[in-house]
Amino acid sequence: MLDNVIQNVTDIKSMPEVLKTVEGLKNDGYRYVTMICLKANEGHELIYIFEKDDKLKHLRYFVKPGEKPKSVSGIYLCALLIENEYQDLFGLTFEGLAIDYKGHLYLTPNSPKTPLA
Amino acid sequence: MTTVIPFGPQHPVLPEPVSLKLEIDNDVVVGVLPSLGYVHRGLEKFIDTKDYNQTMYICERICGICSGIHGITYSRAVEKLFDVEVPERAQYLRVINSELCRIHSHLLWLGLFADGFGFESLFYECWKYREDVLDLLERFTGNRVIHSMSKVGGASRDLTKEQIDQILKTLDDLEPKVKNIEKVFVNNYTVKKRLVGLGVMSKQLAYEAGTAGPTLRGSGNAIDVRNTADWDIYRDLGFKPAVAKEGDCYGRTKVRIDEIYESIKLVRNAISKLPNGEIETRVKGFPTGEAVMRAEQPRGEVVYYVKGKGTKNLERLKVRTPTFANIPSLLLMLPGVKLADVPIVVLTIDPCISCTER
Repeated sequence: MLDNVIQNVTDIKSMPEVLKTVEGLKNDGYRYVTMICLKANEGHELIYIFEKDDKLKHLRYFVKPGEKPKSVSGIYLCALLIENEYQDLFGLTFEGLAIDYKGHLYLTPNSPKTPLA
Repeated sequence: MTTVIPFGPQHPVLPEPVSLKLEIDNDVVVGVLPSLGYVHRGLEKFIDTKDYNQTMYICERICGICSGIHGITYSRAVEKLFDVEVPERAQYLRVINSELCRIHSHLLWLGLFADGFGFESLFYECWKYREDVLDLLERFTGNRVIHSMSKVGGASRDLTKEQIDQILKTLDDLEPKVKNIEKVFVNNYTVKKRLVGLGVMSKQLAYEAGTAGPTLRGSGNAIDVRNTADWDIYRDLGFKPAVAKEGDCYGRTKVRIDEIYESIKLVRNAISKLPNGEIETRVKGFPTGEAVMRAEQPRGEVVYYVKGKGTKNLERLKVRTPTFANIPSLLLMLPGVKLADVPIVVLTIDPCISCTER
């Protein structure tokens, strides 16, 4: 049994480095696929997934408790929906979102709050 | 001066609820704000109460149109965690199921699209032909839309000789019917007037916008998950992605029609090469680790992320569906489009909101 079958993962330590790397990937012709959010050690883990020539590339970043990650929707507009989804479901706050639904992409004021947090 | 007009959530051309706030200036769209949340069911949370085998049935219920491919992709993601080899016959059965799903999904879309631009008789024709494929799926899986053909480790049902003959006969009957409707979609003067040059996205823009499926390929990008290393079997079956260069509503329509022919070819080839043998590898234990699996649904690339922690439940399931990837492209396609043409452009991404919101 494999411990980890995600190939081609780069761990990134700081948010500015995430933005710089994502910008570099766009310039290199990578397509934004999606982002995964997981609960991890009181904080959250974000896995950004990109694709080029049918190969996937993953960036992993740990969001510390209370930290507000920067949105990459200024680089890839299409990231805005998934970032808004994680604001709803995990209670994260992404700074600089191209369109910010303020935690109400899916959830109404009466919905359960941050159901996946 | 601009006016904001709501498009949806209930609209004649939308089979599912999604709302677009359209900023209109003199009958032309100048801004778009999508609004979701009408069918969010929290299925990624629901799996907390299900074991990894039961989760396959949850995934199938994300969507009633591409349910089969949801089940297959989830099964393949979990099989990656277990590092199991699925019997070859089961892999071919999955291809047959997937491609029949694609055929009926595209016929459904073509009908809805014809209805969207007011061609009622064409709508009836498309849906009438789709019924033949649904009948076939019902005969060989027991259900019209939720097929449960796949399971972790292989396939849950095999095909008999009689069923294979039925599939081939139905496809032989279907192909000339598709050719007939293709003539209308591709050559009819009025239809072309409505579609050509509308909702244009360049090759580069469609790629950078992260679009998927016919929305991406309709702009000249030959990107299809069936062409990747994860799906070697498709290469063995002679798969070629359908691509159109136009980048407009017409191009996206042509891609879907071409994909019906491609799917018919793939099913025939899969049947001709269908090996004998087992259809399932028994999987024991609980999943550990994390895996990403992609597949090509009728609307485009679906991405499954699964993470196991050595218990019967998965720790995390995340599904990125193709419509989720295609909705942001409306922000790029709709500005400059006349209000009357908005339904046509929206339909060409083949929006599936149940998939999008899960």
